[in-house]
Amino acid sequence: MEKIRDAFDFRDFSKPEKVGFAIFTLFLLIFPWLGAGSFVKAVAIQFLLFSLFGMGWNTIGGYGGQVELGKAQYVGIGAYTVALTMVWWKIPFWVSMPIGVLIAIGYSFIIGYPLFRLKGHYFAIATICTSLVLQDIFINWKLVGAAKGIELPIREHPDFLYMQFKSDTYYFYFIMALFYVAIFYMNWFRKSKLGYQLRMIKEDEEAAESLGIDARWCKIKAYSIASAFVAVGGGFLAVYNLYIDPYSVMDLDLSIKIALMSMLGGAGSMWGPIIGSAFLVPLDRFLGSWLGAQKGLIGVDFMIYAALIMIVSAYQPRGIWGIIEQFRKRGA
Amino acid sequence: MAFLEVSELVKDFGGVVANNHISFDINQGEIIGLIGPNGAGKTTLFNCIVGYHKPDSGKVIFKGKEITGFKPFMTNREGIGRTFQIMKVTAGMTVLENVMVGAFCRADDRNLAKVEAAAILGFLGLDSVKTYYLNELPIAAQKKIGLARALATQPELLMLDEVASGLNPKETEEMVDLLKKIHQEKKITLFLIEHVMEVVMPISQRVIVLDGGEKIAEGLPKDIVKNERVIKAYLGEKYAKGL
Repeated sequence: MEKIRDAFDFRDFSKPEKVGFAIFTLFLLIFPWLGAGSFVKAVAIQFLLFSLFGMGWNTIGGYGGQVELGKAQYVGIGAYTVALTMVWWKIPFWVSMPIGVLIAIGYSFIIGYPLFRLKGHYFAIATICTSLVLQDIFINWKLVGAAKGIELPIREHPDFLYMQFKSDTYYFYFIMALFYVAIFYMNWFRKSKLGYQLRMIKEDEEAAESLGIDARWCKIKAYSIASAFVAVGGGFLAVYNLYIDPYSVMDLDLSIKIALMSMLGGAGSMWGPIIGSAFLVPLDRFLGSWLGAQKGLIGVDFMIYAALIMIVSAYQPRGIWGIIEQFRKRGA
Repeated sequence: MAFLEVSELVKDFGGVVANNHISFDINQGEIIGLIGPNGAGKTTLFNCIVGYHKPDSGKVIFKGKEITGFKPFMTNREGIGRTFQIMKVTAGMTVLENVMVGAFCRADDRNLAKVEAAAILGFLGLDSVKTYYLNELPIAAQKKIGLARALATQPELLMLDEVASGLNPKETEEMVDLLKKIHQEKKITLFLIEHVMEVVMPISQRVIVLDGGEKIAEGLPKDIVKNERVIKAYLGEKYAKGL
């Protein structure tokens, strides 16, 4: 009961935050009826999806302060579980998605146990490696479609069981629902014992250990929570795109984007991943399609992207949310 | 049976023997001072007991249970709290949150942890700085917060690493009073590394002296200050004469 109350209790946020959050929620609810084109809708879905990924990453990367750059492997696990079980055994999404999450959690414990013996840069590199190894396995594994990937069988009619719809609006509302589950979870998480302990580990791991915190075990737990979040998003990606291959769901690029968006928005804060995703997803898509299409400007979007990240990280390592808080403090 | 029993403890950092066959006992309810020149192996000894270092040989027995080689969080759960000589001064958590993390060691519930943390801050007279971040506070307050954090884990033995270093005489006096208060009201056994003689001598019931990784003396403060070896190694002629 306490936990449920904590998840829905937003009282300790400031008034502008509460108002902003309410307006944002309202906007999302009516968004599909505002007459946006399919491209804009796709960007909005992408934004919610990356917010979900980012919030997951934020548990271990933000609150726990561990530079984790291997989240793509869990996107892959979630996506492949949904796709393969559907192709092979016609298992509906609502069954295969939780299975994917369970597999991701199990896998994250197996990977996390040795991984968290490492610290700092070594840990970051190791997370990249585990993800790349899994990607390589999938690229060469004939049974799961190898590099060609797999196509999900398309249902004749829109089907709720298999989450196949003609209109993006349904996908939008579905990812929005997942997004809000994630927000409520994070709202509980930041106030939980594990949340506090992780923040202490981030501040000063030695001191945390002296306060009875099993740092390694806490990190493993947070890592598997993050993995579960990301696997949910991966499952969504499979039914949304109806086609997955190791390059689209397990790429290093994806891992880095997940981490970068949260860092840019503000790692270790409630709104950071959402802000980061709101900035970078549209930037990425619009710049990519606008600038990338012009002759001689290929790659300029990446340069703008990189410059933005450098500016924010040099100015305020706690990201955009850190800048906002800084101004708020100065005003108070 | 002694409360904390250290026997024949050896820690060898590949050539430098930081602790060479050190043995001593601490009884429940005592205040023990650990002194010695820089590099004598005091902090290493602390780290070996608490678990940051694994001793090469020897035993640490706490309340009749062998805890040699336990990890720091395990020794903490057994009932040993510690503070650090140099605290990382961070900007990410408030004072209250810092102490709550300590309280979470024994309490799962957030509200309970909050109440306990607030009680400890009140006990140490830190009510007014509750909402500050560590980096916004003077060193004396930071040291007290280190103390509060450790106390929140409800230790039976509290090991303090230079809790008065960097404090001015008035703050040092306050710290001594605070330590006495903790000892009397919370019934916690204290084991402290200290360079400031004004702290060690008045409150310690016994003093252990290390030099070059060896225990060179142990006894009552009034005997220690007269001990030839201790004067030579650490206190210096002046201090001895001044008494």
